[in-house]
Formats: sequence, structure tokens, C-alpha cells
Amino acid sequence: MLADFPYYIAAWIFLCGLYGIVRSRHLVHTVICLTILQSSTYVLLLAIGFRAGGYAPVFAGISPGVVTVDPVVQSLMLTDIVVETTVVALLLAMVVKAFEKGGTTSPDDLRFMRG
Amino acid sequence: MPSPALLIVIPLIVAGFLEGFRKLIPRWLADLVSVLTGLNNFVLASAWTIHALARTQVYWFGDWYPRGHMALGIGFVMDGAGCAVAALTGLLATLSLLYSWKYAEHGGGHYHPLMLVFLGAMSGFAVTGDLFNMFVFFELMSTAAFALCGLKTQEPAPLAGAFNFAVTNTVAAFMMLTGIGMLYSTTGALNLAQIGLLLTGRHDRLVLAAFVFLMTGFLVKAAAVPFHFWLPDAHAVAPTSVCVLFSGIMVPFGLFGAMRVYATVFQGSFAPTQVHWLFVGSGAVTALWGGMMCFAEHHVKRMLAFSTISHTGLMTLAFGLWSKDALTGLFLYLVAHGLIKAALFFTAGILLHRFRTISEPALFGRGKALPWTAVLWMLGGLGLAAAPGFALYAGEARVTSRAPWTEGIFLIAGVLTGGAVIRVGLRVFYGIGDRGPTDKSAEVDETPETDADSQRIPWFLFFPPLLCIGTAVALTFWPAFTNAAYSSAVRFLDFRSYAHAVYASATAMKMLTAAKEPLEPDLLFGLLRAGLAAGLAVWAVQHLKVPRRLRWPSHLEGSMDPVRSLQSGHPGDYVAWLTVGFAILGAAAFWLGI
Repeated sequence: MLADFPYYIAAWIFLCGLYGIVRSRHLVHTVICLTILQSSTYVLLLAIGFRAGGYAPVFAGISPGVVTVDPVVQSLMLTDIVVETTVVALLLAMVVKAFEKGGTTSPDDLRFMRG
Repeated sequence: MPSPALLIVIPLIVAGFLEGFRKLIPRWLADLVSVLTGLNNFVLASAWTIHALARTQVYWFGDWYPRGHMALGIGFVMDGAGCAVAALTGLLATLSLLYSWKYAEHGGGHYHPLMLVFLGAMSGFAVTGDLFNMFVFFELMSTAAFALCGLKTQEPAPLAGAFNFAVTNTVAAFMMLTGIGMLYSTTGALNLAQIGLLLTGRHDRLVLAAFVFLMTGFLVKAAAVPFHFWLPDAHAVAPTSVCVLFSGIMVPFGLFGAMRVYATVFQGSFAPTQVHWLFVGSGAVTALWGGMMCFAEHHVKRMLAFSTISHTGLMTLAFGLWSKDALTGLFLYLVAHGLIKAALFFTAGILLHRFRTISEPALFGRGKALPWTAVLWMLGGLGLAAAPGFALYAGEARVTSRAPWTEGIFLIAGVLTGGAVIRVGLRVFYGIGDRGPTDKSAEVDETPETDADSQRIPWFLFFPPLLCIGTAVALTFWPAFTNAAYSSAVRFLDFRSYAHAVYASATAMKMLTAAKEPLEPDLLFGLLRAGLAAGLAVWAVQHLKVPRRLRWPSHLEGSMDPVRSLQSGHPGDYVAWLTVGFAILGAAAFWLGI
């Protein structure tokens, strides 16, 4: 039960982010909720790679056969961070531009394309 | 053969170079270099297609070959389907870059690098044999697409469209990553073939959950109903040349990813008969919904976007059938649809260039000065209705040959989408009937992409659509094309030959020489469909000449506000629909006993 705890946390964070995006009234808020949703994947990936009593996966100076946590998921997470940073930077740039041109940061006022 | 890594490396390096020196490089040089890079990708991928049709090739980066069953490195699996799709990407990217030659605004020098990153990422996505690598290429292509979509930053509308596109697709990407994490947690592998081998025969909740997460991720990109809301918003605001790549290849890539992952990872767990209804049902609903929305639309680019939804739905349906014939048809359909949709977007771009507007009522009768453009547009409309003589027809005949009951869905979707295009053609180029109803989205016009003083239509605007239509016709008369699609389909279906290629770098030769069963397409049915599409269009534009109670095509065209209001333009609503779709997909998968 306790070992499963991180997975429940991941699901909870995911749902929080999703709820935030759906109910968002401000574009910056939407972007932040997207990063919250995304941090659930960090928790998930780290939980998958965790080994009780495992060392950090730095293989210099430890003898072969020592248990370490899984380095693959950590590199996946690192890639994930890169992807997320790019997307968030792009989205925030769009919000800034939208505010400059449209004078608003509410998704309700930016609905040009309807129907 | 040159390394397949060049398909990705060359566009990325050129993109970096163009971006770094964008202040110094003159416009013509940036155009020339990007067109040549696109062409290089097309030639390289075509050469690889020929090579891969003879035998599936596997390229291991850094020579990290598998040890036993453990795939250590990242491999590119060059099979017929993947290479051919990469070649199509190269062709469409070359034509798009040629189309935007000189005149089109280039977003402060960022346009060319972004297009090349987009091209490189899509090429990599087509051929990679590693699940996480697939995610990375998927995200790279999405990020480039978000930026390209919002390139016209002078107006708030493109920013809103790009924002909705980015938020929806990023949520989908993280769902995909969650699925990948689940698969890794249970198999410890990321190579598609290795996961597939480890999962064969496994049938539990975790695999099911991973399946639902991954498929949601891909189907959002493939714009299946109810994941489709972002697509019309993005297409209405993106520059023409970008729309060509979105509709022609990026959206079908969502489906292609779903197919690849199903064929390798999940086929051993969930038999095709179990997932059959999931994709057939989703495809049928998407095809009909997209067709209906397409006919009700009066913003020309948005109309084409809805037709993309409809046709991708038809391809999803073919995926659900999962047989040799259905998949052969699907590959033919994918290529033909890409070409025809590209031609239609290019032609719509000519209208925008010449008349500075893209709304059907505003364009009424103004296209009379462009007789040749009119021919291209009408041919595109007939092609979309899968009239005989277009490759779309050959694909459609293949898909329905073993499942005649799907004929009805192909008929309705083809008539509605083709009819809508022909209707626009009749009004715009020939000035027949009246202006027709207008709607909110047609009132939001698009900023022209070119200089106002250029009233001529230069050759590089006219040549790409001509080539696309010509190719879509020529492919039907080239038997080698159908044969290649057939042998690609046979190998795509067969996971054992895929796994064998990955681990032994060889494929059983008997798979390749499998004889294609001859097929007599039903010519009458094709003519009927084209005739109905044209008839519907004429009926709609001449609605004032028929008695009031026979005016139902104009109701189909103008009285759809209740359904159209679902397309609310609010990112929160779209994500809510995404969640609903995820729940439906999960419930359906559970209920179907997968």
C-alpha cells in the first residue's frame, strides 16, 4: 500500500492540473496548470525507477553489484523537463503577444474562432 | 545507402544554421537552402523506400546492437510504410517551401528553421523503432507546429488558435508519456519490438491502462471526435504552406503512430478482433461528424480542416478493420489524401493571395478571372469525393472490398466533403446561385500572407497544386505503387516479421513476394459518389430555385448552429472534451473486454 503511494500522488497531481486547465480564467493560469499536470509525470517516472535502499546512479566509485535506482527513467525525466520548458516558454510568449495585440489575458475574450 | 539518420540530421543542422545567421542570410538564399533540404529528404526517403521494400532494414545508432533479447541502443526500423510516409513528408515540405518562395511573410526569419525542424521531426517519427524516441520526435514536431501556427503575430486570432492547439496537444503528449512510463515499469524496455515480445499474451489492467493512455495521446493528434476541437482553430489561422503540412501529413501521423504502436506493442495482448470496434466506431463517428461540420462551414480553410477530420476518420476506420486489404487501402488513401488536401490548401492560398480574403460569401463570383485555378479546385473537390481516376478512389475500393458495409460511411463522408469543396468552387469561381449563409467564423478573416501590390499569380504558387493533383491521378495508373502499398501493409500487420527484422536484421522473404490479389474496383460506385457530391453542391447553391420543402442541403449548410457552438474556441472546453473522450475510450476498451 505504502509502496503504491507515489502513484496515487501522480494521479492526483494529474487531475489537479486537468481541473485547473478546464476551469481557467487567465491564460497564464492555464499555462501554470499545464506545468502542474506535467509534474505528475515526474512523480510517476521517479516512482517507477525507485529501488528501496538504492544509490544514486553515478557509477564512479561504487562496486559493481550495488543496487542503484534506475537511471533510464531519470534520463526520460530529464528529456521531459526539456520538452516542458520549451512548450511553456512558447506558450508564455504567445500569452504576452496576445496581451499586446488583444489587450486581454482571458481565454473568454480571445475566442475569435467560434462555430 | 547513406545513413537514415541524415533524414533528421540534415534538416536540423540546416535549421540551426538558418536560425543562427537569420539576420545575415538574404531571403532568396534561405528559400533556396530550405527547398533543397526538403528535396534532399524526399530523394533520400524515396531511395530508402525502394531499398526497404526489398527487405526491412534496421539501423542501430552507434552500432549498439541488441544483446540477446535486450535492445540496448536506439534503432531506426526502415520498413516500406515508414519510409514511404517519410518520403511523402519530404515531398509536401518541399512544395510548401517552394510555395512560400519570396513573397510569403516569413515571421522574422523564423519560418524556414521551424519548417525544417518540423520536417526532421516528422521524418524521425516515421521510422523510429523506440517508444521514447517516438515521444521525443512527436513533441519536437508538435512544438515546431505550435510556433508555425502562431507565426502571424500581428493579429490576436492566430495566437488564440495556436494556444488552443498547444494546450490540447501538450496534455495529450503527457498522457502518452504516462502510458510509456507504465509500459516501462512492467517490461523495463523502450524498444517497440522488445516491449511487444515481453507483453505477448499478457492481458491485465496495467497493459489496458497503458493502451488507453497511449491511444488517447495519438488520437488527439489524429483529431478523432471528441479530440478534434483544436484542429479547425489551428488550420484557420496558420499560414497556407503550414496548413498543407498539418492536414496532409501531421494529422495522419497521429494515426500512423497509433497503428505502429498497436502493431508492435499491443497486438500480442489485444487481438485485432477485440480492438476492431473501438477504432471502427471512433472512425465512423469522426468521418460523419467531420463531413457534416465541413459542409456547414464557410471559412474556406476551416472547411478544408473539417474535411481532414472526416478523412482521417475514414483512415481510422480502415485501421480498425486491420486486414491486408484494409491496410493497403489505408496507405493508398493516406498518400492520396495528403496530395489532394495539399492541392486544395495551395489553391485556397492562391485565393487569399489574389483577393485578400478567405471567406466564402466575400469571395462570391470574384474567382471568374482565374479559370485555371478553378479547374484545380474542382479537380480537388472531385478527388476528395474519391471520383474514379484519383488514387483516393483506389484506396477506398481496397478498404471496402472486404467490408462492403463500410461503403455507406465512405459514401456519406466523401459526398459531404467533396460536395462542400465543389459548392465553394461553384460560388467563388463561377458565381452561380447566391452568396449563401454566413457564419461567425467566416467573418473572422485572415491577414493576407503576401504583399498587396502583387496581383499576378507567379508559377511557384500554381505549380505545387498542379503537381499534387497530377501525382494523385498518376498514382492510380502506376501498378507498382499499389504493389508497394500491399507489401508494406502485409509487413506492417505482421509483428513477428517486425521483431525478426529488429533482432536479426532480416525479414522472411516469403512475406515480400506475397502475391497481390487482383481487385476489380466498382467503377459505377465511384461515379455515383462523384455525381452525388456535384449534385449536392449544385442543389445547395441553387437552393432558391427549388421549392421550400426541398431545400434540405441549405439547412445542412446554414442551420447547424447548435452543433457548431460546441466549437467554442475556449482551451478549457477542449481539454474537458479531451477528458470525456479519454473516459469514453477507457470505458469502451473495458466494456469490449479488451
